[in-house]
Amino acid sequence: MRSPVQLQHGSDATNGFHTLQPHDQTDGPIKRVCLTRGMHVPEHVAMHHTHDVGPDQCCSSVVQMIHAPPESVWALVRRFDNPKVYKNFIRQCRIVQGDGLHVGDLREVMVVSGLPAVSSTERLEILDEERHVISFSVVGGDHRLKNYRSVTTLHASDDEGTVVVESYIVDVPPGNTEEETLSFVDTIVRCNLQSLARSTNRQ
Amino acid sequence: MADICYEDETSACESRPLWSSRKWRIGVQRFRMSPSEMNPTASTTEEEDKSEGIYNKRNKQEEYDFMNCASSSPSQSSPEEESVSLEDSDVSISDGNSSVNDVAVIPSKKTVKETDLRPRYGVASVCGRRRDMEDAVALHPSFVRKQTEFSRTRWHYFGVYDGHGCSHVAARCKERLHELVQEEALSDKKEEWKKMMERSFTRMDKEVVRWGETVMSANCRCELQTPDCDAVGSTAVVSVITPEKIIVANCGDSRAVLCRNGKAVPLSTDHKPDRPDELDRIQEAGGRVIYWDGARVLGVLAMSRAIGDNYLKPYVTSEPEVTVTDRTEEDEFLILATDGLWDVVTNEAACTMVRMCLNRKSGRGRRRGETQTPGRRSEEEGKEEEEKVVGSRKNGKRGEITDKACTEASVLLTKLALAKHSSDNVSVVVIDLRRRRKRHVA
Repeated sequence: MRSPVQLQHGSDATNGFHTLQPHDQTDGPIKRVCLTRGMHVPEHVAMHHTHDVGPDQCCSSVVQMIHAPPESVWALVRRFDNPKVYKNFIRQCRIVQGDGLHVGDLREVMVVSGLPAVSSTERLEILDEERHVISFSVVGGDHRLKNYRSVTTLHASDDEGTVVVESYIVDVPPGNTEEETLSFVDTIVRCNLQSLARSTNRQ
Repeated sequence: MADICYEDETSACESRPLWSSRKWRIGVQRFRMSPSEMNPTASTTEEEDKSEGIYNKRNKQEEYDFMNCASSSPSQSSPEEESVSLEDSDVSISDGNSSVNDVAVIPSKKTVKETDLRPRYGVASVCGRRRDMEDAVALHPSFVRKQTEFSRTRWHYFGVYDGHGCSHVAARCKERLHELVQEEALSDKKEEWKKMMERSFTRMDKEVVRWGETVMSANCRCELQTPDCDAVGSTAVVSVITPEKIIVANCGDSRAVLCRNGKAVPLSTDHKPDRPDELDRIQEAGGRVIYWDGARVLGVLAMSRAIGDNYLKPYVTSEPEVTVTDRTEEDEFLILATDGLWDVVTNEAACTMVRMCLNRKSGRGRRRGETQTPGRRSEEEGKEEEEKVVGSRKNGKRGEITDKACTEASVLLTKLALAKHSSDNVSVVVIDLRRRRKRHVA
């Protein structure tokens, strides 16, 4: 039985965000989008999943329920040096600056075959062991996701499980629409969080 | 898939990561597949190539023997079939051209002569510019033997699997899909090929999903760190050749091409997401095709059908498209290959090249197993002939399994693909379909 997965799109009206019109793209202001609006989450979670979205950008979040305590899930999620413990699509990962435990550290990820990407250079932005928050931004590599930044938070659910929220913000690549970009990235993120659920339950 | 690898090539030229100092290995490996070789690596050393070939030839013999045992056992146990068994004799008096009313005369042992019903074939696989080999090839001549009171026929299986995400789904297809087809073939009395193949592919797809949920093979790169293979898949283009028909079942963007009377006849159609009927099917299922470095399902996968890839179901289905083609005297050969070849070589060019190889190396009237061609003097050729003789002796009347001309044709196609800058794995199987001259039985 697959765990329920919820999607919150940045373009959803319930988030108070209006769909960008073409004529707005050149001079549209930055809009603040809270991707957990409507959800019952701790205040720090809501803060981490609030993004300032500029023109030609989009954001979204994926929610995954996992029937395991937050500490068990966090043991996998916190591995900036070894994302393969739960993420798909990674062929190799190597820390290229620092030790993977501090903000500013860099990793080089090589992507598996079959995907429209080759590599990704990623910087650790947040690693909060107390509140279970990890964030990275993509600063280079061979792919089409420019200015990508991801935040993943864990918090306890009401039934002794864990609620994982992963949100991201990214530029819309030339030639694609916002909807297409969200569809592509959501597919990857959703697949990884479902894998995280299976990996955690398998331990 | 090739367009990604082109980027890979560009990236490598521009700024190769410091930690990845290994040079790209480009070469062609001529080998016979065996169970222990799940991920053969291409080698540029010619000596290694030939040495490996000799070793693999022995493995092929062993695998062939095993398959004979495996395939004959179910036949013999079938209560509905009357089995005519002639020890040390493989005689087929009836073939597709004979009337069902012909009565087979069972000759005595002394007048029976060996006839070789197996097609000649060759295979070549090359890693190419990509650093991992994720293709797999399965060759199973005589994997099904059908016997009735009046006739005995053999069916032959050839499969090419192009993995993506990792190699283990393709490796699993190589190990199992022919067994599933065999089970379906032996249990199906009506020879409904479309349904048989669809059931086989569905079972294969379920096996790779279920298999990933229980145990991971230590032979693939996923290792124990990624205990999940929802995001790994493979193409599968499979051909079963009977005396009367050529059956092709395809799932993904590998391809089967028949050469008939000098003309290329595609027996499969590539499953690309922007193929109009595939696009309709995906959209009706609630998915979408996004152009992200080419047309991709949800922007992720560049093919619309595959074995595995559970996370993209139901948009990416494992249902094969099946074609059944009657054999004719004009049939020359069949090519099965991955998109590493077809992305850079047209059907017509491939047929022209293979045709030159087969016509030059293998005269229509020449019979195998007889005296070797005089004039071969080089040491390597001597070795190869010696190996052939050993093989023939070991298998008694079965003779040579693979044909050098077909293998050379396969190798030539892989070299052509590399010359045209294919940056993907390339795997090619060439199957000679020309009928052997029939011998008369007293």
